[in-house]
Amino acid sequence: MATLATIFDRIFPAKVLEQAAPRIQDEAETCRLRRFPNEDIYFSVKRIDNTRVVRESDPATRGVCWQTIGSCVVAAVLLIGILLPSMYSLLAGYRIEALHQERQRLEIERAALQLDEAKMLSPARLERLAQEQQFVDPLPQKVVYLDGRPEGTLARR
Amino acid sequence: MDTQGTHRVHLLARMGFLWAALIVVRLLQLQIVQHDKYRTLAQQQQEKIVEMRAPRGTILDRAGQPLAMSLPVDSVCVDPLRIPDLSVAADILGRILGLDSQDLLGKMKFAADGRRGFLWIKRHITADESRRLRDLNLDWVEFRTESMRFYPDKQLAAHVLGGVDFEEKGNAGIEQSLDEDLEGHPGTLRVTSDVKQRGFNSKVDTEPLPGKIVKLTVDSRIQFVAEQELEKAIKTHHVKTGSVVAMDPKTGDVLALANYPTYDPNEPPRHGEDPMARDDLAATTPYEPGSVFKVITIAAALETTHLRLETIIPCGNGVITLFGRTIHDHSRYASLPMEDVLARSSNIGAINIGLKVGDANMYEYMRRFGFGKSTGLPLPGESAGMVRPLKYWQKSSIGSVAMGHEISVTALQLAQACSVIANGGFRVKPRLLRDTAPETPQRVLQPETAITMRRMMEGVVIKPYGTGHRYAHIPGYTSGGKTGTAQIFDHHTHQYTHFYNASFMGFAPVTNPAVVVVVTLNGTVGTAGYGGPTSAPVFREVAAAALRILDVPKDLPDDLPADDNDKGKADENDVAIADLGPSVPLPLVQPNSPDQRLLLGPPAPESPSELAGPMVPNFQGKSVRDVIQESAALGIPVEFAGSGIARAQIPPPGAILPLGERVRIQFGR
Repeated sequence: MATLATIFDRIFPAKVLEQAAPRIQDEAETCRLRRFPNEDIYFSVKRIDNTRVVRESDPATRGVCWQTIGSCVVAAVLLIGILLPSMYSLLAGYRIEALHQERQRLEIERAALQLDEAKMLSPARLERLAQEQQFVDPLPQKVVYLDGRPEGTLARR
Repeated sequence: MDTQGTHRVHLLARMGFLWAALIVVRLLQLQIVQHDKYRTLAQQQQEKIVEMRAPRGTILDRAGQPLAMSLPVDSVCVDPLRIPDLSVAADILGRILGLDSQDLLGKMKFAADGRRGFLWIKRHITADESRRLRDLNLDWVEFRTESMRFYPDKQLAAHVLGGVDFEEKGNAGIEQSLDEDLEGHPGTLRVTSDVKQRGFNSKVDTEPLPGKIVKLTVDSRIQFVAEQELEKAIKTHHVKTGSVVAMDPKTGDVLALANYPTYDPNEPPRHGEDPMARDDLAATTPYEPGSVFKVITIAAALETTHLRLETIIPCGNGVITLFGRTIHDHSRYASLPMEDVLARSSNIGAINIGLKVGDANMYEYMRRFGFGKSTGLPLPGESAGMVRPLKYWQKSSIGSVAMGHEISVTALQLAQACSVIANGGFRVKPRLLRDTAPETPQRVLQPETAITMRRMMEGVVIKPYGTGHRYAHIPGYTSGGKTGTAQIFDHHTHQYTHFYNASFMGFAPVTNPAVVVVVTLNGTVGTAGYGGPTSAPVFREVAAAALRILDVPKDLPDDLPADDNDKGKADENDVAIADLGPSVPLPLVQPNSPDQRLLLGPPAPESPSELAGPMVPNFQGKSVRDVIQESAALGIPVEFAGSGIARAQIPPPGAILPLGERVRIQFGR
């Protein structure tokens, strides 16, 4: 506890007091400092050993202290709990927007692939390939459509 | 108590309170009074409006193959005022985008001098160009995403599809007629972004509306064959233009519509390009049909008169005089059964039949078959053709009309008319869009009439003297049709020229027609330019491909013996001579006119008594029982193959059967 005596002890260490004490040279007045000039006031320094002094526990104060700590923790948790979803939603928002852009990019890529597929399946190209491979036109009734539709392009003879 | 100290404490407290009060007032002002203002400022800073792409609708063929589709492409623009070095910039952009650097530099300097902050460099660049330019990370280059139309099959079905301009607005064909449906409406997206312009929240302001997907009835495989065969015939016969229409007679689905010349819709029109390349001749350009129209004449006769297949029609020995005009046939016939009037394409026979039908009935049936009004296809500029109103008909008009003159029709109308015969007598409206609900067909002919007409048109193909014989026969299938060779009228000289519109209008198979094909070549010359040798082979190839693709079962064996004795003499009968009617400025046909192109008939055949063996009769078109009875009566040994109706025979009718030989007859259903 920060009392005047402890502060005094800190400011004025025991060595000074010991230096001050021999001037009295009186065994009965070992704690007595020399008097101020022209004064009859004497200070006494009494060394008190408080090391064995234990502060009496104060349940009320302890309770208040713990309550304060608990309140602060709860407040912090609540604050974090309130802010955390919005933080996660912000991060999710970034992710969502990135996915939107990725989807747009993939849609464009898919359209480009569909165009390439259509070019590769063009009748002119198939005819040219068929001629290069010396294919012949299948006869009707000799073709089985793998996907079950006559309109389909997948067929085998 | 130290009052001075207390006073100081109070003073300090008041100052602190005042300071706090000022803060609170300022907070109230900012967050409550000026709330909307700062919120707006924050939105402007944090939010940006992004356009959501709505591509133009895809056009698919019958099988779902894309014929036209839109893709986003980059376009490059710059701010000339931000470019540090114009010449370097022009050099970089010129090399990557394949542009003339000097020309580009000139444009950029002009823009910079005029303090313009925007300049298009190149629009619709390729993906490779875009990637290379983006990799340079030039801050004065800006990319704008635009939409571009692609036609992956290039010129396939170009006249049906049409095209779009640079703003993706349809300017021809389906692209134009269905522009509102195909056009997409972009939406807007409000994106909230952070200081680094990364979006973290978005809200759709306006939903994008993509263009509607249009599915056509056109089969790209049949279309390809039609275009290929048409081009081959055009080049073989050295003509300039032609068209092919293939149609399902029952549903009216247009399976193919090909014109020549054609174009690639991916390429914009160029200076000096043939303007006819972009004309949809089959739909927009009517012409006088000539002899193919005899089908209508005879159909009307079957319905309105007592004339039948076997009715003998006088053919005047190749000459007729009608209201002061003299008309000749190529071959001299005294008379012909009505079915042979069609097979031999006798003009005089057709005129006599037309006279029996009469003006009113003829006009009525022309309208019933759909002539004189457009078919209603969503093709811009479709012509209704020309059918002169009855009150304006001259006395000799019936003669012209019976032969297919004084009337102009489009190939589409001919296909529609032929479908009437092919589907049992109903006029079915042609359709180009799969989603269009078919209209209720209108009955035009009685079923018996339609069946009779089919048999007669089959005779054009199977009879050795038929004008379509040998040219229109499809291996494995029965087929029927009519050739046409109409002189082309020159509006400058007001005279008919020596050029023909050579046509063939036909269907296959005969018993249950699955496809109708009309072929027209414009500008043929000479006997080799008649409908039979020019258009009928195209019909044969296109119909054969269509039947194969549509998986139609064959009704004839493939190994039907070919008739080697045919010399193609009958082709000469096919020309419809347009020399009737004072309302049409036609030259009178003079027997000794130097530009007369009518020929006398062939010499009389040799006397059969000088040859061994009997003369083979014509068994074609007869049933097995009839053939047995007739051959037994004549004492002619016959060998049968197949069942049904006699389709072909060897030796041909009129030939002398050597002793000990048999007549081989192929039957089919």
